[in-house]
Amino acid sequence: MTKQAVIEINNVAKQYGKTDVLKDINETVRDGQVICLIGPSGAGKSTLLRCLNRLENPTSGEIKFDGQDITVLSEKELGSIRENMGMVFQSFNLFPNMTVLENLKLAPIKVKHWDDSAAEKVAYDLLERVGLTEKAQAYPASLSGGQQQRVAIARALAMNPKVMLFDEPTSALDPEMVGEVLSVMRELADDGMTMVVVTHEMGFAKQVADEVWFMADGYIQERGTAEELFDHPKTERAKDFIGKIINS
Amino acid sequence: MKTIKQLFAILAVLVVSFTIIQGQPAIAHAATDDSLAAIQKRGKLVMATSPDYPPYEFQTNQKGKSKVVGMDVSIAKQIAKDLHVKLVIKSMTFDSLLVALETGKADMVMAGMNPTPERRQSVDFSDIYYVGGQDFLVNKDEASKYPNQKSLANQKVGAQTGTLQYNLAKKHIPGVTVKGMDKGADLILALKTHKLVAVGMEKPAAEAYVKNDPSLVAISSTYNLDENSSGSAIAFRKGSDSLVTAVNKSLKDIKQDNLIHKVYLKDAGKYMKVNTANTSMGHYWTYFAKGVQYTLIIAAVSGVIGVVLGVLLALMRLSKVKVFKWLSVSYIEFVRGTPLMVQVLFVYFGVGVIVNLPALISGIIAVSLNSGAYIAEIIRGGIDSVSKGQDEAAQSLGLSRSDIMKSVILPQALKNIWPALGNEFISLIKESSIVSIIGVTDLIYQLNIVRADTYRGVMPVFIAMVLYFIMTFGLTRILNHFEGRMQHD
Repeated sequence: MTKQAVIEINNVAKQYGKTDVLKDINETVRDGQVICLIGPSGAGKSTLLRCLNRLENPTSGEIKFDGQDITVLSEKELGSIRENMGMVFQSFNLFPNMTVLENLKLAPIKVKHWDDSAAEKVAYDLLERVGLTEKAQAYPASLSGGQQQRVAIARALAMNPKVMLFDEPTSALDPEMVGEVLSVMRELADDGMTMVVVTHEMGFAKQVADEVWFMADGYIQERGTAEELFDHPKTERAKDFIGKIINS
Repeated sequence: MKTIKQLFAILAVLVVSFTIIQGQPAIAHAATDDSLAAIQKRGKLVMATSPDYPPYEFQTNQKGKSKVVGMDVSIAKQIAKDLHVKLVIKSMTFDSLLVALETGKADMVMAGMNPTPERRQSVDFSDIYYVGGQDFLVNKDEASKYPNQKSLANQKVGAQTGTLQYNLAKKHIPGVTVKGMDKGADLILALKTHKLVAVGMEKPAAEAYVKNDPSLVAISSTYNLDENSSGSAIAFRKGSDSLVTAVNKSLKDIKQDNLIHKVYLKDAGKYMKVNTANTSMGHYWTYFAKGVQYTLIIAAVSGVIGVVLGVLLALMRLSKVKVFKWLSVSYIEFVRGTPLMVQVLFVYFGVGVIVNLPALISGIIAVSLNSGAYIAEIIRGGIDSVSKGQDEAAQSLGLSRSDIMKSVILPQALKNIWPALGNEFISLIKESSIVSIIGVTDLIYQLNIVRADTYRGVMPVFIAMVLYFIMTFGLTRILNHFEGRMQHD
């Protein structure tokens, strides 16, 4: 039985001036699926991900979230969609003027209008989940990159989203910190979270991805399980790219 | 192309508003033949003066309260009494007096003013009430070198800017260089430090200086003057015929009883003795205290309004709505492109024609509007300095635009711009001193009063300098404290 579609991408295209960044994308993300999006830089991976919560606006096509077309929503209406889609960025983007705890509490209080104690309880639960309870009162600047990214994941989870979007979450990290972030993401996947992850971590993709999308030149060139795609790529572009990352 | 269009638009707005403002007094003029009736109906007569010219008008310290006294004030009081109204005195710089009259800030101007033909073109004058004659002050040790007006040929002579003395010296002393300054006290200082060899002054004022400073002597001028251009008269708005007639009647009575020589000048002399009996700066501390108080009030209120206005203008400038953006850019460009002094004069005299604002309020408005433009640019820079990722992270959490600004962007922007904002607040304390030209009793204004009253040139300046430094240094400490609290890395 196929699960229900959470995100449907229909004929999405995006141009910057005269440059085509996305060309006619048609994909579906189903409930509980983990999708890894791979491909050479400049392929349009981040742009596609950012279209999913309208940080970028597609030039044409529709993107449905829970059956609702989000490309037609106004800035105000977007709020209710975005609170259901957590996002984690390459550069963490924690708010440096707030403590870790305040970073986690901000959106639940401002958007969901929770009272302070309810928000605080959820925040501590999440900090425990990412193993950073003792850093609750610390400011982001005093944390390592890996710790900051784990806080960023907890901050996104505080809104109890249906989907989590990850935009190269480990690319800005020192190698010894990649593991701690991936393990948090792995636990999240095991708990059944629907995730779309732009990543180059083949190990992670093989372990948790239900589907891997290979993207180049603004197209999804190839789609399949991690094994299919990494071990038996069909297109020349995919063969070339996978050869390069294995040998690097 | 776009900027040129914008420039034209700004100029067009200016021309239109100026026409509206100019249109206003024309209406008032047509109806001013009820000038006397209007004053009697209001029950008060507003006199504008520049109280740094003893014995004509100056300030004195009476039981801890400073008040404007002098010969002119005594005459004005008698006039008010004859008209059965109360006298209200407004103080400002000499240069601003006639503007105050034309814009309805005052009903009459008394400041030892000579009714020259040039002035007669823009205002009406009463009969001449006093002819003082013209003197020069010279240093005593040079008195033998400059015994008369003739000896001043080819020398440097000083006089107050915009006065008869200035024009006379220029016209009648061959080869002279006339140096104009705003304040009598500054001229005397220049004389005593030999930057000038003589200072032209009305006889009573010159005599007052000689009495209080043994190093100066007065020499008589040999200008051949008719009463009309050397005597003092009261100035009125053009067309105030009924008022002028009534005042002339009072003046005639005063002259008949010889009140000026018998009473008024003697009273003025007594007040001057009180002022100079103790010229230690400690004795004048209430003057400085009041000045500090007003300077702080103006800076604080303008700072707060400036920040609110600055945030508003910055958000408008960053807004996607073109009209907001255009309005904000035009405002900022215009305010930054014109001197604060002109803005102060415009708010007090220009806008004052439509709404009669007191000097303090006008000063605060002008300084606030001015600093708002600068603060807006600082804040815009601060908002731009916060990385785009912060905005995106906040958006991805579903926060509204206003929550993003309030909780995420502005606090970080504030930290980044704090040093620049601190600079702006410090210059606000110093530059707000420009409001003294419309008679707001800030520290600079009070400083000039003390200099005029005590005949001491340098010491009051030194005191004011120290006081300004204490204020700005204190503010710097406070700002540093808050900056420390915002440091989280």
